[in-house]
Amino acid sequence: MRTTRLKSILTVALAAAIIFGFAAWGMLKKDDAQSLSERRALAAMPKLSIDSVLSGKFMSDYEQYKLDQFPLRDAFRTLKAVNTYYVFSQRDNNGIYIVDGIASKLDYPLNESSVAHAAKRFGYVYDTYLKPNGIKAYLSLVPDKNYFMADANGYLSIDYDKLKDMLTADMAYAEYIDIFGTLSIEDYYKTDLHWRQERIQDTTKALAEGMGADDAAEYTAADADTDFYGIYYAQSALPLKPDKMYYMQGGSIADYRVYDYESGKYVDVYDMEALSGRDPYEMFLHGSKSILTIENPNSRSGRSLIMFRDSFASSIAPLIAEGFDRVTLVDIRYVAPELLGRMIDFSQYTDALFLYGTGVINNSETIK
Amino acid sequence: MLFSSAAFLYSFLPLTIAVYFLMPRRLKNAALLLMSLIFYAWGEPRYAILMLLSITQGYIFARLIGKGRGTKRAKAYLIISLVLSLGMLGVFKYANFFAESFAAVFGLKIAALNIALPIGISFYTFQLISYVIDVYRADVEPQRDYVAFAAYISMFPQLIAGPIVRYSDIEAELTARAYGADKAAYGAKRFILGLGKKVLIANVLAELVNAFKASGEKSTLFYWIYAAAYMLHVYFDFSGYSDMAIGLGSIFGFTFPENFNYPYIAASITEFWRRWHMSLSSWFRDYVYIPLGGSRVKKPRALLNIATVWMLTGLWHGADWNFVMWGIMFAVLLIAEKTLLLGFIKKHRAIGHIYTLFFVMLCFIMFDASSVGEGFAAIAALFSRGSAANTEALYYLRSYTVPLIIAAIGATPLPKRIKAKLEATRVGGAIMTIAEPVALAALLCVCTAYLIDGSFNPFLYFRF
Repeated sequence: MRTTRLKSILTVALAAAIIFGFAAWGMLKKDDAQSLSERRALAAMPKLSIDSVLSGKFMSDYEQYKLDQFPLRDAFRTLKAVNTYYVFSQRDNNGIYIVDGIASKLDYPLNESSVAHAAKRFGYVYDTYLKPNGIKAYLSLVPDKNYFMADANGYLSIDYDKLKDMLTADMAYAEYIDIFGTLSIEDYYKTDLHWRQERIQDTTKALAEGMGADDAAEYTAADADTDFYGIYYAQSALPLKPDKMYYMQGGSIADYRVYDYESGKYVDVYDMEALSGRDPYEMFLHGSKSILTIENPNSRSGRSLIMFRDSFASSIAPLIAEGFDRVTLVDIRYVAPELLGRMIDFSQYTDALFLYGTGVINNSETIK
Repeated sequence: MLFSSAAFLYSFLPLTIAVYFLMPRRLKNAALLLMSLIFYAWGEPRYAILMLLSITQGYIFARLIGKGRGTKRAKAYLIISLVLSLGMLGVFKYANFFAESFAAVFGLKIAALNIALPIGISFYTFQLISYVIDVYRADVEPQRDYVAFAAYISMFPQLIAGPIVRYSDIEAELTARAYGADKAAYGAKRFILGLGKKVLIANVLAELVNAFKASGEKSTLFYWIYAAAYMLHVYFDFSGYSDMAIGLGSIFGFTFPENFNYPYIAASITEFWRRWHMSLSSWFRDYVYIPLGGSRVKKPRALLNIATVWMLTGLWHGADWNFVMWGIMFAVLLIAEKTLLLGFIKKHRAIGHIYTLFFVMLCFIMFDASSVGEGFAAIAALFSRGSAANTEALYYLRSYTVPLIIAAIGATPLPKRIKAKLEATRVGGAIMTIAEPVALAALLCVCTAYLIDGSFNPFLYFRF
């Protein structure tokens, strides 16, 4: 009887401590503006008004606010991940899986309509800007980490050959440069989706050779002296070891002039301030930018390249630019292709490269 | 507001407990009513008024019936109240369905009515109907205190997804109820276990079900995995909610009826329905089946009664033909048992278990389908000779093996029996005194972790 009573008191005390404790903590703690691990703004306390209550907006916003501002939020996310992986023995947590300390995100199945959408938009670019200006077009695909990790470890994996065949069939105007064989899983950050700039010399060479451009520069890797916690670190919510970051110096990189069309200013090739920001990978050509031009004063090639790209290009473009007078990077996820003619004089370009990760092609709804 | 939300667990619930227990006894019903209205209005601000109107008509007509018992007037009041309750349900839940069905049958083009379904209307309407009928039958006395009556109908723990609490269940507790550590501890335990069933099992299995639905390559194996996962998902989702409701009721001093009793250990469909959603099946038994004559009429009429009740049960679950078909499938099984099978099943219980699980699984495929045709196609796919297994099915089977095993074991009384045996020993009992509260606290933390990591997870029975 005494033990039953003790059990009841303990049950009520512990449950009440958790519910009332976290409720009070949540009210007293200062709201966080950003989630560093998720790289996004957190919801703020919604404004209370008759309209917001009657429409239900206040309630839905408040529920998001409670989730976003919950005390020890990242610790709770880690607890969920630990339970998913180690108690439920599930193979992935929110699509993130880890093999030998390397994190990746499942991208399955092959989305054929997404591939078709990407091809359609690239076709528009070719028909509108490249073909009328006699620009030679190339296509290259960057395999995501799943290409190396998924199938070999029993995870779901798309048919990369089929994706490539579908895209090349729809882009018969572009010469395909295969870089899959130049890469291995070691060439990618363990905690991020991107490749490592210091490990893609062979890939640079393959692309340059494919386009008949110069690839003779010598580079050395400089230590960025930062712990890089990539996007998969945040999404996995597990205590993975951070990556080391390096960036390449040498060749003509120090002489490049990079023009940012958004700010209308010249900027550095490497944004060292980004190393302490929310995404250190943004150090390469300042991250998400709609249009940038790298001017290479040392080039005597007489060739200019326009590169339609995603974030993989940010780190390889400075290396490819060695063989061109000018390389313009265009991200049609941030600028509509219909507007490009107003901003870029396509008659100045001799070559065009469509360089995209397979992940963007398989999820191309972001391409405008 | 969902019980399995941070806003409920860490804002509404502590505030409600504080307000409720700080109030003097005479104001506790008022506090409960106020917090229940806030809870309801949180999800449906406009429909809180509709619920109050329903409550008010139930209150008034029950009082009038009570005054005129035995007269024709009482019967007239009963009919008016039933027409109002069922009319409300008909307009807000079934108008779209009937209009679309009518248009489809006669090839007419009717503009969509687009009437939104008020949350919990099926539950509180059934409670109102049972109350008014019980008053008419003189099974209970009409409640004079409007606040107490409104608190009963709108009581947030059971308002939106049951169990269907009859007035007679809590009549005494509406005026005087006991509190204490044991009752609060029992309530906390039931609530946390229900939360765990919902968040850790039902929601996780829902991911598997969604993966199946999103798949473009559905092999036969994948159909079987889906069918098993969905069947377990429905049970843990709904019984988890009932556990939470019963637990919250206990914290606030009420004793709600049990709604589930390990339905998947049933050895016949008849037994299954004595263990599944018991408050609903007993409601249909007492207010539809028996008034129709039950089984004390000629056999064809008795079979028709069963069919009628199960079609209505199907319609209660949702205003769509797949739910009607779901009810019909159960009606066919129950009639088959009543006329042919029950004797055989009683002698061969092992076969009865397999048969029950198999047909319940098929019925729930229909329940989950978006149309009758899709439901039968999915059932047929379980036996197709196409692709037997594919990479995708095997991946998800491997990834969800542990949750499926935990769910399968958790759907039986085995864990409860093991715990009881452990507690029966001196050492085991001593260990459990500490271990059980700590385990419940840990479970609450893990559930919180899942809620924070996830976002939207509506209850299945929210719209019924």
